[in-house]
Amino acid sequence: MTTSSKGLDGGIFGLRSSVVWVLAFLLCGLASPGAAFAQGSFAPKVPSVSVSVTPLTTITRGTAGKVELQFRVGAGLHINSNTPSADYLIPTTLKLDAPTDIVVGRVTYPEGRMVSFPFSGNDRLSVYSGIFQLSVTIRPLSQVLPGKYAFHGRLHYQACDNARCYPPKDVPVSFLVKVVRGVTQHRRNPAQSPHIHG
Amino acid sequence: MKRDPFILVIVAVVVAALLVFGIKMARRRASQPVASTATGQLAPNFTLKSLDGKTVKLSDYRGKAVLVNFWATWCEPCNVEMPWLVDLHKKYASQGFEILGVAMDDIGEKGIAKFAQEKHVDYPILIGDDPVGDAYGGIPFLPGNFYIDRSGKIVDKAFGLKGKAEMEQDIQKIIASGAGAQSVAAAGGQ
Repeated sequence: MTTSSKGLDGGIFGLRSSVVWVLAFLLCGLASPGAAFAQGSFAPKVPSVSVSVTPLTTITRGTAGKVELQFRVGAGLHINSNTPSADYLIPTTLKLDAPTDIVVGRVTYPEGRMVSFPFSGNDRLSVYSGIFQLSVTIRPLSQVLPGKYAFHGRLHYQACDNARCYPPKDVPVSFLVKVVRGVTQHRRNPAQSPHIHG
Repeated sequence: MKRDPFILVIVAVVVAALLVFGIKMARRRASQPVASTATGQLAPNFTLKSLDGKTVKLSDYRGKAVLVNFWATWCEPCNVEMPWLVDLHKKYASQGFEILGVAMDDIGEKGIAKFAQEKHVDYPILIGDDPVGDAYGGIPFLPGNFYIDRSGKIVDKAFGLKGKAEMEQDIQKIIASGAGAQSVAAAGGQ
């Protein structure tokens, strides 16, 4: 049986390629248990709150606009609202860093749902669960160059389920805002009318 | 059969990477303290500061039945447990039962003390830290309760809120078991 050199080369080349892919896969596998080990084997595996992708918001410079941010609380969990029912409970808060010449204004939090839990007896707690939305007022100053600007921040929260509570955590939040020029208003000197000066 | 040198080199690199990874992991494991919180094991000892400024060692409580209660002010289920713990402490203190409340909080001693005072806590509250948390399995969530008998062994552990009756049963178990155990029946336990 004979094999053409072209076929053999192709075969070896294919084998090489497969070996490289298999090795890359193996090395990725090696890296992940290492990372998991570094975090501690008892660390909770599932993140309690995730951020949905925020669509690009366009804001005219010199004016204020609102960016809506959507979060999802993991199934079976709840987090305190921004105004929890007791002062010892940790409120959910969003902290953002703003690019130069862009003002981050008020963060509007939704009202919490008042829910009673097996552990809270008759007391009801103000919480977020499932999907909830925050809005942030952004005002680019009038001298900001038009373009896309990245905002980064963290949502601070503390989650519980029906019987236990997880330590407070931060989830990173990022979104883009497109700053555009306003409608150009041509300022023309009004015609000098002798009637005006009358 | 002719061996492709490219594949041989790649295989050698992978074997070397596996070896290095294995050695690193083995060293990491060896350097970490063995923190066993399995039932039947001796509870990891710790030294922590209490709210009244005393240095408290778990080993000082050998001979007593101890409930180590990990809690935090922001943990509502812990908050629910506290009055139960106060009651159970009063009920069983005379039988050599003690509670050590380990606060895993970062609000500072004053905040913790104020909270404990409001809850009328009459057992020692200790200021917890990460090494102690790690020694007890990382305390992934609260409340975390470790029931330790008179010989210092963990008899049971529970994470999350359980019923008061369930806690009481575990407390009776640790009072009854271990070195120098006294009879729960004789002591009443009502």
